[in-house]
Amino acid sequence: MSFRYEMRLSGEGGQGLVLAGKILAEAAAIYDDRNATQSQSYGPEARGGASKSEVIISDGEIDFPKAESLDLLLALTQEALDKYHDDLKPGGLLLVDADAVTRLPEGEWKVIQVPFIRIAREKIGRAIVANIVAVGVIVRLSGAVSVKAAEEAILARVPRGTEELNLEAFRTGLATAEEVAPTVG
Amino acid sequence: MSSSLKRPPLLIKGNEAIIKGAILAGCKTFFGYPITPASEIAEAAARDFPAAGGTFIQAESETASINMVYGAASAGVRTMTASSGPGISLMQEGVSYLAGSELPAVIVSIVRGGPGLGNIGPEQSDYNQIVRIGGHGNYRNPVLAPATGQEMCDLTIRAFEIADRYRTPVYLMADGFTGQMMEPVSFPDPVPPLPEKEWAVRADAESRENLISSIFLEHDQLEEHNRKLQRKYKEIAANEVMVDDFLVEDATILVVGYGIMSRVLRSAVRAAREDGLKVGLVRPISLWPFPSDHLEALAEKIDRIITFELSNGQMVEDVRLSVHDSVPVHFYGRMGGNVPSAEECLEVIRRYAAEGGK
Repeated sequence: MSFRYEMRLSGEGGQGLVLAGKILAEAAAIYDDRNATQSQSYGPEARGGASKSEVIISDGEIDFPKAESLDLLLALTQEALDKYHDDLKPGGLLLVDADAVTRLPEGEWKVIQVPFIRIAREKIGRAIVANIVAVGVIVRLSGAVSVKAAEEAILARVPRGTEELNLEAFRTGLATAEEVAPTVG
Repeated sequence: MSSSLKRPPLLIKGNEAIIKGAILAGCKTFFGYPITPASEIAEAAARDFPAAGGTFIQAESETASINMVYGAASAGVRTMTASSGPGISLMQEGVSYLAGSELPAVIVSIVRGGPGLGNIGPEQSDYNQIVRIGGHGNYRNPVLAPATGQEMCDLTIRAFEIADRYRTPVYLMADGFTGQMMEPVSFPDPVPPLPEKEWAVRADAESRENLISSIFLEHDQLEEHNRKLQRKYKEIAANEVMVDDFLVEDATILVVGYGIMSRVLRSAVRAAREDGLKVGLVRPISLWPFPSDHLEALAEKIDRIITFELSNGQMVEDVRLSVHDSVPVHFYGRMGGNVPSAEECLEVIRRYAAEGGK
């Protein structure tokens, strides 16, 4: 069986999770020479309440690009966690915002709590880059995307003039993952 | 890698890939009105057409859009519109006029859930309207059904070629999922400059005598016009069938599905093969002309066909017409924006496989 990794990034509209999904998919498909697809909430669903972005990364062909057996779920809000955790497979990685998420669902998952938004606000100075901090954590913990490819995708996708800010957020995410990694598995 | 170095693939939405393809095909005009899940097509056209020397107009309605398309096609430029469900319904009168006046145009339909307002999820419920024609009169229109981001680009280009070659409206029909998802897409070279259309009205002295019209008041004249159209449709039916086979060589069960459904079926077919079931997939790419001869030939070697659709069972009628009663043709469908999982499809395949040979 070839490598296949399914992830769902969830939170609320405006948290940049669609951008985070695009960065991870583009890193894999364009810079890492793997296959990847990204799909997301659209229409009214994307403009309020819980919103999600799904990325599938594979060494083989991706037939149906809908994530149905998640290796990783990121939830930046309680509502998104409650709504989207059902498809996380046993042993999968549940990555939640340590401050926003207070109730964890029952399940055989590896739970990692990271204060993404607080880290972005306090260490980078901008809460808005919490999504890129999360990209850093995901890159390190999932192994689905190389660091170099992720950096290239970030530079290609973030607004002009924010490249350094976002790279700093990404590297902070990588370092954060090093700290929490021993608790995984 | 050398060609990809020149033009690396982009990770883009299917809807955006359509506009990239249209510009590479030399399309100069886009007229449309936004509707989810097709709006990114208009958005990309608004961004990219002016830069490519073309024109984008957001019309006041879908009716206006299709009639602007009629005007641009009459003037001899490549032209298109895009919509979904209710918007495509509104355009049907205009599509009939395009067919009657023999005007080339590309109409993109990103099908959503219906009927009525329905929802914005992916469905294939507009097959009957689009493939069997939704307007009035004795016409047909070619319909191409992409299943990947790459095909959203490539088949858009193909649609423009067919439209010009036969002077006919052509549909590109996909679903909300295929329109919204992002995949890597590589772009071919742009088409070379297009020859001038001698029949077009170009607001100059030479084209002054050209008449673009679908009105033939004399019965015999209109009958002759219709006979000419039917000869053209026969030619399209003979030349423009597109179909994709997956593991059909030794298959005893064929599954048939198009667009996004075919991608779920590929997984189901792989899983069925691991179970020892000889299952193959036929994916019609052109829905009209339908690959009837292909299915009829395959039917001689198999026990049964299962057609899967995101609808109440529309294409399955064309499958049945293709194979007559030579093999049982079953149907499995989901509606409302739901897409069956590969496991769900595999269960259906197992159930019919248990019924054995014919």
